[in-house]
Amino acid sequence: MEHARHVFRVLLVLLLVIVVVIVGRSFLVPKSFGMYGNYRYDNVPEQMAARPPLHGGARSCADCHDERSAVLAKGSHARVSCEVCHGPLGRHVKDGDVVAKMAIDRSPRLCGNCHRKIDGRPPKFPQVVFEKHVEGGLGPKGCLDCHDAHSPKL
Amino acid sequence: MDEMPKGNPPPEPAAQPAQAEVSRRDFLARALRASGGAFALLAGGGAIASDGERYDWEAHRWAYLIDTEKCIGCGSCVRACKAENGVPDGYFRTWVERYLISPEASHVDSPNGGMDGFPPLQTAFEPTKSFFVPKLCNHCKETPCVQVCPVGASYRTKDGVVLVDGKRCIGCGYCVQACPYGSRFISPETHTAEKCTWCYHRITKGLKPACVEVCPTATRQFGDMKREDDPVRLAIAHGRVVVLQANLLTEPQAYYLGIDMEVR
Repeated sequence: MEHARHVFRVLLVLLLVIVVVIVGRSFLVPKSFGMYGNYRYDNVPEQMAARPPLHGGARSCADCHDERSAVLAKGSHARVSCEVCHGPLGRHVKDGDVVAKMAIDRSPRLCGNCHRKIDGRPPKFPQVVFEKHVEGGLGPKGCLDCHDAHSPKL
Repeated sequence: MDEMPKGNPPPEPAAQPAQAEVSRRDFLARALRASGGAFALLAGGGAIASDGERYDWEAHRWAYLIDTEKCIGCGSCVRACKAENGVPDGYFRTWVERYLISPEASHVDSPNGGMDGFPPLQTAFEPTKSFFVPKLCNHCKETPCVQVCPVGASYRTKDGVVLVDGKRCIGCGYCVQACPYGSRFISPETHTAEKCTWCYHRITKGLKPACVEVCPTATRQFGDMKREDDPVRLAIAHGRVVVLQANLLTEPQAYYLGIDMEVR
Protein backbone atom coordinates (compact mmCIF):
# COMPACT_ATOMS: atom_id res chain seq x y z
CA MET A 1 0.00 0.00 0.00
CA GLU A 2 2.84 2.35 0.94
CA HIS A 3 4.43 1.72 -2.48
CA ALA A 4 1.21 2.50 -4.31
CA ARG A 5 1.02 5.87 -2.54
CA HIS A 6 4.53 6.73 -3.72
CA VAL A 7 3.60 5.94 -7.28
CA PHE A 8 0.42 7.96 -6.92
CA ARG A 9 2.37 10.98 -5.65
CA VAL A 10 4.78 10.84 -8.56
CA LEU A 11 1.90 10.61 -11.02
CA LEU A 12 0.19 13.56 -9.36
CA VAL A 13 3.31 15.70 -9.63
CA LEU A 14 3.71 14.66 -13.25
CA LEU A 15 0.10 15.60 -13.99
CA LEU A 16 0.59 18.95 -12.29
CA VAL A 17 3.69 19.63 -14.41
CA ILE A 18 1.80 18.77 -17.58
CA VAL A 19 -1.07 21.06 -16.65
CA VAL A 20 1.30 23.90 -15.77
CA VAL A 21 3.12 23.50 -19.08
CA ILE A 22 -0.10 23.48 -21.10
CA VAL A 23 -1.55 26.47 -19.27
CA GLY A 24 1.77 28.32 -19.42
CA ARG A 25 2.10 27.69 -23.15
CA SER A 26 -1.37 28.98 -23.87
CA PHE A 27 -0.39 32.26 -22.26
CA LEU A 28 3.13 32.56 -23.62
CA VAL A 29 2.83 31.35 -27.21
CA PRO A 30 1.10 33.87 -29.52
CA LYS A 31 -2.07 32.50 -31.02
CA SER A 32 -0.98 32.25 -34.62
CA PHE A 33 2.52 30.96 -33.85
CA GLY A 34 3.35 27.75 -35.66
CA MET A 35 0.43 27.85 -38.08
CA TYR A 36 2.73 27.79 -41.11
CA GLY A 37 6.14 27.48 -39.53
CA ASN A 38 8.22 28.68 -36.64
CA TYR A 39 6.76 32.19 -36.66
CA ARG A 40 3.70 34.24 -35.78
CA TYR A 41 1.45 34.15 -38.84
CA ASP A 42 -0.45 37.25 -37.72
CA ASN A 43 2.68 39.23 -38.55
CA VAL A 44 2.08 38.65 -42.27
CA PRO A 45 -1.12 40.75 -42.46
CA GLU A 46 0.57 43.18 -40.06
CA GLN A 47 3.43 43.60 -42.53
CA MET A 48 0.95 44.13 -45.38
CA ALA A 49 -0.58 47.00 -43.45
CA ALA A 50 2.68 48.19 -41.90
CA ARG A 51 2.42 51.60 -43.59
CA PRO A 52 0.53 53.18 -46.47
CA PRO A 53 2.51 53.14 -49.74
CA LEU A 54 4.31 56.47 -50.13
CA HIS A 55 5.36 56.22 -53.77
CA GLY A 56 2.50 56.40 -56.24
CA GLY A 57 4.28 55.08 -59.29
CA ALA A 58 4.94 56.44 -62.73
CA ARG A 59 1.35 56.98 -63.82
CA SER A 60 -0.20 58.34 -60.65
CA CYS A 61 0.96 61.92 -61.33
CA ALA A 62 -0.77 62.11 -64.73
CA ASP A 63 -4.19 62.16 -63.07
CA CYS A 64 -3.66 65.84 -62.24
CA HIS A 65 -0.59 66.80 -64.29
CA ASP A 66 -1.35 65.33 -67.69
CA GLU A 67 0.21 68.27 -69.59
CA ARG A 68 3.54 67.70 -67.83
CA SER A 69 3.30 63.96 -68.36
CA ALA A 70 2.69 64.49 -72.07
CA VAL A 71 5.85 66.60 -72.37
CA LEU A 72 7.79 64.05 -70.35
CA ALA A 73 6.53 61.14 -72.45
CA LYS A 74 7.85 62.75 -75.65
CA GLY A 75 11.27 63.66 -74.28
CA SER A 76 14.38 61.71 -73.50
CA HIS A 77 13.36 61.51 -69.84
CA ALA A 78 10.28 59.47 -70.77
CA ARG A 79 11.39 56.51 -68.70
CA VAL A 80 12.30 58.60 -65.67
CA SER A 81 9.49 58.46 -63.15
CA CYS A 82 8.39 61.83 -61.71
CA GLU A 83 9.28 60.64 -58.22
CA VAL A 84 12.95 60.20 -59.15
CA CYS A 85 13.46 63.98 -59.12
CA HIS A 86 10.43 65.22 -57.16
CA GLY A 87 10.34 62.69 -54.34
CA PRO A 88 7.47 60.47 -53.24
CA LEU A 89 3.87 61.31 -54.10
CA GLY A 90 2.77 60.64 -50.52
CA ARG A 91 4.43 63.88 -49.37
CA HIS A 92 2.31 65.85 -51.84
CA VAL A 93 -1.07 64.09 -51.85
CA LYS A 94 -2.79 62.15 -49.08
CA ASP A 95 -6.16 60.45 -49.65
CA GLY A 96 -6.71 62.49 -52.80
CA ASP A 97 -6.03 65.88 -51.17
CA VAL A 98 -2.98 68.04 -51.72
CA VAL A 99 -1.21 68.29 -48.37
CA ALA A 100 2.04 70.00 -49.40
CA LYS A 101 3.73 71.49 -52.44
CA MET A 102 5.85 69.05 -54.36
CA ALA A 103 9.54 69.62 -53.86
CA ILE A 104 11.30 71.04 -56.90
CA ASP A 105 15.07 70.80 -56.78
CA ARG A 106 16.55 72.93 -59.57
CA SER A 107 20.16 72.53 -58.49
CA PRO A 108 22.80 71.08 -60.81
CA ARG A 109 23.50 68.61 -58.02
CA LEU A 110 20.22 66.84 -58.80
CA CYS A 111 21.06 66.56 -62.51
CA GLY A 112 24.57 65.54 -61.52
CA ASN A 113 23.29 62.52 -59.60
CA CYS A 114 22.78 60.92 -63.00
CA HIS A 115 24.72 63.00 -65.51
CA ARG A 116 27.93 64.10 -63.85
CA LYS A 117 30.78 62.19 -65.43
CA ILE A 118 32.24 59.67 -62.98
CA ASP A 119 33.79 56.25 -63.20
CA GLY A 120 31.24 53.50 -62.95
CA ARG A 121 28.48 54.78 -65.22
CA PRO A 122 27.91 52.89 -68.46
CA PRO A 123 30.02 54.72 -71.11
CA LYS A 124 27.04 55.18 -73.44
CA PHE A 125 25.00 56.96 -70.79
CA PRO A 126 24.94 60.76 -71.39
CA GLN A 127 27.32 62.38 -68.88
CA VAL A 128 29.22 65.65 -68.72
CA VAL A 129 32.15 67.12 -66.85
CA PHE A 130 30.43 70.15 -65.31
CA GLU A 131 33.56 72.30 -65.39
CA LYS A 132 34.12 71.69 -69.10
CA HIS A 133 30.50 71.45 -70.28
CA VAL A 134 29.79 75.20 -70.28
CA GLU A 135 32.39 77.81 -71.07
CA GLY A 136 32.88 79.99 -67.99
CA GLY A 137 30.94 77.60 -65.75
CA LEU A 138 27.22 77.09 -65.17
CA GLY A 139 24.89 80.10 -65.27
CA PRO A 140 22.51 81.29 -62.53
CA LYS A 141 19.89 78.66 -63.31
CA GLY A 142 22.44 75.89 -63.59
CA CYS A 143 21.57 73.21 -66.11
CA LEU A 144 18.09 74.68 -66.61
CA ASP A 145 19.58 77.71 -68.41
CA CYS A 146 19.68 75.54 -71.52
CA HIS A 147 17.85 72.30 -70.73
CA ASP A 148 14.19 71.64 -69.93
CA ALA A 149 14.22 69.07 -67.14
CA HIS A 150 11.17 67.32 -68.57
CA SER A 151 12.54 67.16 -72.09
CA PRO A 152 16.26 67.81 -71.78
CA LYS A 153 17.48 67.11 -75.29
CA LEU A 154 18.37 70.37 -77.05
CA MET B 1 9.38 44.60 -27.40
CA ASP B 2 5.87 46.02 -27.52
CA GLU B 3 6.82 49.61 -26.93
CA MET B 4 8.54 51.37 -29.76
CA PRO B 5 9.81 54.95 -29.92
CA LYS B 6 8.02 57.40 -32.20
CA GLY B 7 10.47 57.56 -35.12
CA ASN B 8 9.42 54.28 -36.64
CA PRO B 9 5.69 53.74 -36.18
CA PRO B 10 4.83 50.24 -35.02
CA PRO B 11 2.95 48.13 -37.53
CA GLU B 12 -0.75 48.80 -37.28
CA PRO B 13 -2.98 45.88 -36.43
CA ALA B 14 -4.21 44.23 -39.59
CA ALA B 15 -7.78 44.38 -40.74
CA GLN B 16 -8.84 40.94 -39.82
CA PRO B 17 -11.68 39.74 -37.64
CA ALA B 18 -10.80 40.75 -34.11
CA GLN B 19 -10.38 37.86 -31.76
CA ALA B 20 -10.45 38.13 -28.01
CA GLU B 21 -7.85 36.62 -25.73
CA VAL B 22 -7.62 32.90 -26.28
CA SER B 23 -8.83 30.75 -23.47
CA ARG B 24 -7.15 27.49 -22.68
CA ARG B 25 -10.17 25.62 -24.01
CA ASP B 26 -9.94 27.57 -27.27
CA PHE B 27 -6.25 26.99 -27.49
CA LEU B 28 -6.56 23.25 -27.05
CA ALA B 29 -9.48 23.04 -29.44
CA ARG B 30 -7.45 24.92 -32.02
CA ALA B 31 -4.39 22.84 -31.48
CA LEU B 32 -6.50 19.74 -32.10
CA ARG B 33 -8.08 21.18 -35.20
CA ALA B 34 -4.73 22.36 -36.46
CA SER B 35 -3.18 18.97 -36.00
CA GLY B 36 -6.08 17.61 -38.03
CA GLY B 37 -4.84 19.64 -40.97
CA ALA B 38 -7.57 22.27 -40.90
CA PHE B 39 -5.13 25.17 -41.23
CA ALA B 40 -7.02 26.78 -44.07
CA LEU B 41 -10.11 27.43 -41.96
CA LEU B 42 -8.07 29.21 -39.33
CA ALA B 43 -5.92 31.11 -41.76
CA GLY B 44 -8.90 32.31 -43.76
CA GLY B 45 -9.20 35.70 -42.08
CA GLY B 46 -5.48 36.44 -42.01
CA ALA B 47 -4.65 36.95 -45.63
CA ILE B 48 -6.73 40.08 -46.09
CA ALA B 49 -4.78 43.21 -46.94
CA SER B 50 -5.72 46.48 -45.31
CA ASP B 51 -7.76 47.67 -48.28
CA GLY B 52 -10.02 44.67 -47.90
CA GLU B 53 -8.84 42.99 -51.09
CA ARG B 54 -7.71 39.44 -50.78
CA TYR B 55 -4.07 38.70 -51.30
CA ASP B 56 -3.26 35.05 -51.89
CA TRP B 57 0.32 34.44 -50.86
CA GLU B 58 0.29 31.01 -52.48
CA ALA B 59 -0.38 32.54 -55.91
CA HIS B 60 2.95 34.40 -56.04
CA ARG B 61 6.65 33.76 -55.67
CA TRP B 62 8.53 37.00 -55.92
CA ALA B 63 11.96 37.40 -57.43
CA TYR B 64 14.26 40.37 -58.03
CA LEU B 65 16.51 41.01 -61.00
CA ILE B 66 19.39 43.50 -61.08
CA ASP B 67 20.94 44.32 -64.43
CA THR B 68 24.16 45.97 -63.27
CA GLU B 69 25.15 46.98 -66.80
CA LYS B 70 22.33 49.54 -66.72
CA CYS B 71 23.02 51.03 -63.29
CA ILE B 72 24.14 54.67 -63.39
CA GLY B 73 24.64 55.01 -59.64
CA CYS B 74 22.14 57.85 -59.22
CA GLY B 75 21.01 56.63 -55.79
CA SER B 76 17.29 57.20 -56.48
CA CYS B 77 16.55 53.71 -55.15
CA VAL B 78 18.33 54.36 -51.87
CA ARG B 79 16.47 57.64 -51.36
CA ALA B 80 13.13 56.03 -52.26
CA CYS B 81 13.72 53.15 -49.86
CA LYS B 82 14.58 55.55 -47.04
CA ALA B 83 11.43 57.58 -47.64
CA GLU B 84 9.11 54.65 -48.22
CA ASN B 85 10.22 52.65 -45.20
CA GLY B 86 11.42 55.34 -42.79
CA VAL B 87 14.87 53.77 -42.56
CA PRO B 88 16.97 55.44 -39.82
CA ASP B 89 19.87 57.70 -40.84
CA GLY B 90 23.10 55.85 -41.44
CA TYR B 91 21.33 52.51 -41.97
CA PHE B 92 20.28 51.02 -45.27
CA ARG B 93 17.84 48.38 -46.47
CA THR B 94 19.29 48.83 -49.92
CA TRP B 95 22.46 50.54 -51.04
CA VAL B 96 24.64 50.96 -54.11
CA GLU B 97 28.32 50.02 -54.32
CA ARG B 98 30.85 51.40 -56.78
CA TYR B 99 33.60 49.10 -58.06
CA LEU B 100 36.78 50.42 -59.66
CA ILE B 101 38.94 47.55 -60.83
CA SER B 102 42.22 46.96 -62.60
CA PRO B 103 44.07 43.65 -62.95
CA GLU B 104 46.38 44.73 -60.10
CA ALA B 105 44.11 46.52 -57.69
CA SER B 106 40.50 47.25 -56.87
CA HIS B 107 38.55 49.82 -54.92
CA VAL B 108 34.99 49.56 -53.61
CA ASP B 109 33.05 52.38 -52.00
CA SER B 110 29.50 53.31 -51.10
CA PRO B 111 29.47 56.83 -49.62
CA ASN B 112 26.34 57.11 -47.46
CA GLY B 113 25.02 54.02 -49.26
CA GLY B 114 25.04 55.95 -52.53
CA MET B 115 22.11 57.99 -51.25
CA ASP B 116 23.62 61.33 -52.29
CA GLY B 117 25.02 60.00 -55.54
CA PHE B 118 28.72 59.35 -56.08
CA PRO B 119 31.43 62.02 -56.13
CA PRO B 120 34.25 61.78 -58.68
CA LEU B 121 37.02 59.64 -57.26
CA GLN B 122 40.78 59.58 -57.73
CA THR B 123 42.37 56.20 -57.15
CA ALA B 124 46.07 55.40 -56.89
CA PHE B 125 45.68 53.01 -59.83
CA GLU B 126 44.13 53.42 -63.24
CA PRO B 127 40.86 51.45 -63.22
CA THR B 128 40.34 49.35 -66.33
CA LYS B 129 36.71 48.69 -65.54
CA SER B 130 34.19 50.29 -63.24
CA PHE B 131 30.54 49.72 -62.46
CA PHE B 132 27.81 50.09 -59.85
CA VAL B 133 26.13 47.24 -58.01
CA PRO B 134 22.85 47.79 -56.16
CA LYS B 135 22.56 45.58 -53.10
CA LEU B 136 19.65 44.54 -50.95
CA CYS B 137 18.38 41.52 -49.04
CA ASN B 138 18.60 38.50 -51.33
CA HIS B 139 15.52 36.88 -49.78
CA CYS B 140 17.29 33.53 -49.80
CA LYS B 141 15.36 30.28 -49.93
CA GLU B 142 17.79 28.68 -47.47
CA THR B 143 18.16 31.62 -45.15
CA PRO B 144 20.94 31.59 -42.58
CA CYS B 145 19.23 34.51 -40.80
CA VAL B 146 15.99 32.63 -40.22
CA GLN B 147 17.82 29.52 -39.04
CA VAL B 148 19.64 31.33 -36.25
CA CYS B 149 16.69 33.32 -34.88
CA PRO B 150 16.11 31.99 -31.35
CA VAL B 151 12.55 33.34 -30.98
CA GLY B 152 10.98 32.70 -34.36
CA ALA B 153 10.91 36.39 -35.29
CA SER B 154 12.54 35.92 -38.71
CA TYR B 155 10.69 33.89 -41.26
CA ARG B 156 10.14 33.37 -44.96
CA THR B 157 6.62 33.80 -46.31
CA LYS B 158 5.03 31.43 -48.82
CA ASP B 159 5.42 34.07 -51.53
CA GLY B 160 9.17 34.07 -50.91
CA VAL B 161 9.83 37.15 -48.79
CA VAL B 162 12.03 37.07 -45.70
CA LEU B 163 10.49 39.21 -42.96
CA VAL B 164 11.14 40.15 -39.34
CA ASP B 165 8.34 40.17 -36.78
CA GLY B 166 9.21 43.30 -34.83
CA LYS B 167 7.00 42.26 -31.93
CA ARG B 168 8.82 38.95 -31.48
CA CYS B 169 12.36 40.16 -32.15
CA ILE B 170 14.46 40.54 -29.03
CA GLY B 171 17.26 42.37 -30.83
CA CYS B 172 19.95 39.78 -30.11
CA GLY B 173 21.60 40.42 -33.46
CA TYR B 174 22.36 36.80 -34.34
CA CYS B 175 20.68 37.25 -37.72
CA VAL B 176 22.74 40.37 -38.42
CA GLN B 177 25.88 38.29 -38.02
CA ALA B 178 24.46 35.28 -39.85
CA CYS B 179 23.60 37.19 -43.03
CA PRO B 180 26.53 36.83 -45.44
CA TYR B 181 25.31 39.81 -47.46
CA GLY B 182 25.14 42.38 -44.64
CA SER B 183 21.49 43.03 -45.37
CA ARG B 184 20.30 43.35 -41.80
CA PHE B 185 20.84 45.84 -39.00
CA ILE B 186 19.56 46.50 -35.51
CA SER B 187 17.46 49.64 -35.72
CA PRO B 188 18.54 52.34 -33.25
CA GLU B 189 14.85 53.30 -32.98
CA THR B 190 13.10 49.99 -32.36
CA HIS B 191 16.17 48.03 -31.18
CA THR B 192 14.96 45.15 -33.30
CA ALA B 193 16.37 43.64 -36.50
CA GLU B 194 15.29 45.38 -39.68
CA LYS B 195 15.79 44.58 -43.31
CA CYS B 196 14.44 44.94 -46.82
CA THR B 197 10.91 43.54 -47.07
CA TRP B 198 10.69 43.96 -50.84
CA CYS B 199 8.14 46.58 -49.70
CA TYR B 200 5.72 43.89 -48.55
CA HIS B 201 3.13 46.61 -47.88
CA ARG B 202 3.31 47.54 -51.58
CA ILE B 203 3.71 44.23 -53.41
CA THR B 204 0.70 42.75 -51.62
CA LYS B 205 -1.34 45.62 -53.08
CA GLY B 206 -0.13 45.06 -56.64
CA LEU B 207 2.55 47.77 -56.55
CA LYS B 208 6.27 47.37 -57.14
CA PRO B 209 8.86 47.91 -54.42
CA ALA B 210 9.75 51.60 -54.12
CA CYS B 211 13.32 51.07 -55.38
CA VAL B 212 12.05 49.37 -58.54
CA GLU B 213 9.38 52.03 -58.99
CA VAL B 214 11.90 54.87 -59.17
CA CYS B 215 14.77 53.18 -61.00
CA PRO B 216 15.22 55.36 -64.12
CA THR B 217 17.17 52.78 -66.12
CA ALA B 218 15.24 49.60 -65.26
CA THR B 219 18.33 48.21 -63.55
CA ARG B 220 16.08 46.95 -60.81
CA GLN B 221 13.20 44.72 -61.80
CA PHE B 222 10.69 42.83 -59.73
CA GLY B 223 8.62 39.90 -60.86
CA ASP B 224 6.58 36.86 -60.04
CA MET B 225 8.10 33.44 -60.73
CA LYS B 226 4.63 31.89 -60.72
CA ARG B 227 3.56 33.94 -63.77
CA GLU B 228 4.66 32.19 -66.95
CA ASP B 229 5.00 35.39 -68.99
CA ASP B 230 6.60 37.53 -66.31
CA PRO B 231 9.56 39.49 -67.78
CA VAL B 232 11.71 38.79 -64.73
CA ARG B 233 10.87 35.10 -64.82
CA LEU B 234 11.75 35.04 -68.54
CA ALA B 235 15.01 36.90 -67.94
CA ILE B 236 16.00 34.47 -65.21
CA ALA B 237 14.87 31.49 -67.28
CA HIS B 238 16.71 32.53 -70.45
CA GLY B 239 19.47 34.88 -69.34
CA ARG B 240 22.83 34.01 -67.81
CA VAL B 241 22.12 35.18 -64.32
CA VAL B 242 24.20 34.75 -61.20
CA VAL B 243 23.51 35.09 -57.50
CA LEU B 244 25.86 36.52 -54.90
CA GLN B 245 28.06 34.02 -53.04
CA ALA B 246 26.41 31.01 -54.64
CA ASN B 247 28.96 28.79 -52.86
CA LEU B 248 27.11 29.36 -49.59
CA LEU B 249 24.05 27.55 -50.98
CA THR B 250 21.68 30.13 -49.56
CA GLU B 251 19.71 30.14 -52.84
CA PRO B 252 19.22 33.91 -53.15
CA GLN B 253 16.13 35.11 -54.98
CA ALA B 254 17.80 38.34 -56.09
CA TYR B 255 19.46 37.58 -59.43
CA TYR B 256 22.22 39.62 -61.07
CA LEU B 257 23.11 40.26 -64.69
CA GLY B 258 26.51 41.45 -65.86
CA ILE B 259 28.27 41.09 -62.55
CA ASP B 260 32.00 40.68 -61.93
CA MET B 261 33.70 38.05 -59.78
CA GLU B 262 34.93 40.87 -57.56
CA VAL B 263 31.37 41.36 -56.28
CA ARG B 264 30.40 39.43 -53.17
